Amino acid sequence: MANVLDLPARLGALPARRRRPLALRAPWLAPSLFLAPALGTLAVWIYWPLVETFRLSFYEWNLLPMAPQVFVGLENYQRLLELPELRQAAWNTLLYTVGLLPLTVALPLAVALATRDARGRAGAIYRALIFVPMMIAPVVVAVIWRWLLNPEHGVVNAIIRGVGLPAVRFLDDPGLALWSIVFITGWKLVGFSTLIFAAALTSIDRSLIEAARLDGATEGQIARLIYVPLVMPAIVLLGVLTVLHGAQWSFVYINVLTRGGPLQSTTNLYYLLWEYGFSSFAIGWSTAAGMLLFVVFGIAALFGVRLMNRSDARPR
Amino acid sequence: MRAHAEPTQSAPLGPPTAWFAAARSHALLIALSLLSLLPLYWMIVTALRPENEIFSTAPWPENPTLDNVRRILDGMPLFRMLANTALVAAASTAAQLVTALLAAYAFARWRNRWTRAIFGLLTLTWLIPAQVIMVPNYLLVTSFGMLDTLAALILPHVASAFAIMLLYQSLRAFPEELIDAAITDGAGNWHILWRVIVPNVRPALASLGILLFISSWNDYFWPLLVTRSPDSAVIQIGLQMFFTQEGNQWGPLMAAASVASLPILAIYAVLQKQIVESFLHSGLK
Repeated sequence: MANVLDLPARLGALPARRRRPLALRAPWLAPSLFLAPALGTLAVWIYWPLVETFRLSFYEWNLLPMAPQVFVGLENYQRLLELPELRQAAWNTLLYTVGLLPLTVALPLAVALATRDARGRAGAIYRALIFVPMMIAPVVVAVIWRWLLNPEHGVVNAIIRGVGLPAVRFLDDPGLALWSIVFITGWKLVGFSTLIFAAALTSIDRSLIEAARLDGATEGQIARLIYVPLVMPAIVLLGVLTVLHGAQWSFVYINVLTRGGPLQSTTNLYYLLWEYGFSSFAIGWSTAAGMLLFVVFGIAALFGVRLMNRSDARPR
Repeated sequence: MRAHAEPTQSAPLGPPTAWFAAARSHALLIALSLLSLLPLYWMIVTALRPENEIFSTAPWPENPTLDNVRRILDGMPLFRMLANTALVAAASTAAQLVTALLAAYAFARWRNRWTRAIFGLLTLTWLIPAQVIMVPNYLLVTSFGMLDTLAALILPHVASAFAIMLLYQSLRAFPEELIDAAITDGAGNWHILWRVIVPNVRPALASLGILLFISSWNDYFWPLLVTRSPDSAVIQIGLQMFFTQEGNQWGPLMAAASVASLPILAIYAVLQKQIVESFLHSGLK
């Protein structure tokens, strides 16, 4: 009896199962199709090249299609770590990063704190103006500063001579060139960073400040004890971005203005990779240095992300 | 309790402190504005100077002229380069918006461990500097026979993790009831995406589009790697070529720099508020 009663249901179920919609039969199909264009592109242009860089770092090769790729094992890494050039470039990378932090974090934070009451029309105009360098292409920024800092005819040196001092060779002096490039890199970012901090400050509850003021807190105390902790996520964000990308932002200026010189004094790791790869065609060295860079900055990035998550999770 | 005792003390102090703070604000912001704008002003002034005034430090040329623009037009295919740049920027922006929209939809619509894992993988591209993968990328372009073409400039930028992550934020905030209602109505994914979601996230798409266009217009590293001839160069590379050849021709060089910046500055003049907001919202690219 039970079988007979079941039969119609089974008969009905059979064709229905055969005609189950595609989405149920292959639940992965639709998501895959939606993801395919983006993932395909990134796989071809980022992930696969990373694997290929890893492979090439064990070979000696000069980029010529005819030339053989010779497997050399870990030799590229060994040689690199013994090279004084690499040590100098790593040290310079550190200088770029540390030099940028005042321009991307400390100064913008100070300006944003000191100008936190500038609102309304005037505030909007300042905001629009100080953001302009962010719009300008790095190559343009590079040639403008090359002109401004020119030792003979540049306007900066005209001013320096005007007050009776000798002209400064900003980009040709091995002791100064790196700091000039740090300044130029920071010039493009300082307004942007200031606005990031200003945006974080406007979200602060003003009644909290009033209460502190009524309790007799000085302006300095209010800044240090209320504003700074509340803008901590912005500080961490800009700090992490600067540490991870600062040396990379400088690449354009190095390539256009100094080509790593004078005396390698402005060469950082990114520029060294570029030189090994496309000036000396030492593909093994370039890719091996690239892998080292990737690993070091990858670890730094993991710390950075943890730091960002923690600063965001703070009670506000 | 103390709050009741203090106001009499702080009130007389109030106005002068406020006045001082306001004056200090303005002074600081004016100084920062000047620091931001004077270099650009000097670029434009130098571009307008005739040859015999080029080393002058007067704030405005006595006889402003467009000679310098004419001189770069003789030396390099300036309009061709601007057109190349506009084409590359427009094409890669449009492509990135479409691929990011599709991917962000998938991440928002199907939330399981697979899509979460893939999303995690995507965010990792943030950690891979262009210089680390430049050699394989270069080899790929040469193996396609695309060296020195505009296609080589566009293809790697058909999709970006940055665009996907930003759009995903907007799509995740999209009310799920609307999507559920559309599903109950029997709407397919394609329909939901283009008819239900896209009309509602237009502002997010627009600001992402502006961001992508500007960063593509100003891009330097990738074009530097795959461009060889002036005819297929974008304006940034054209500027670099001109600089390498005639580094001390300050007038024409500043004219070229001004021309390279004008389109973006024009866009900024019109959409200033949206642009600043979308940059601040997205962080640095």
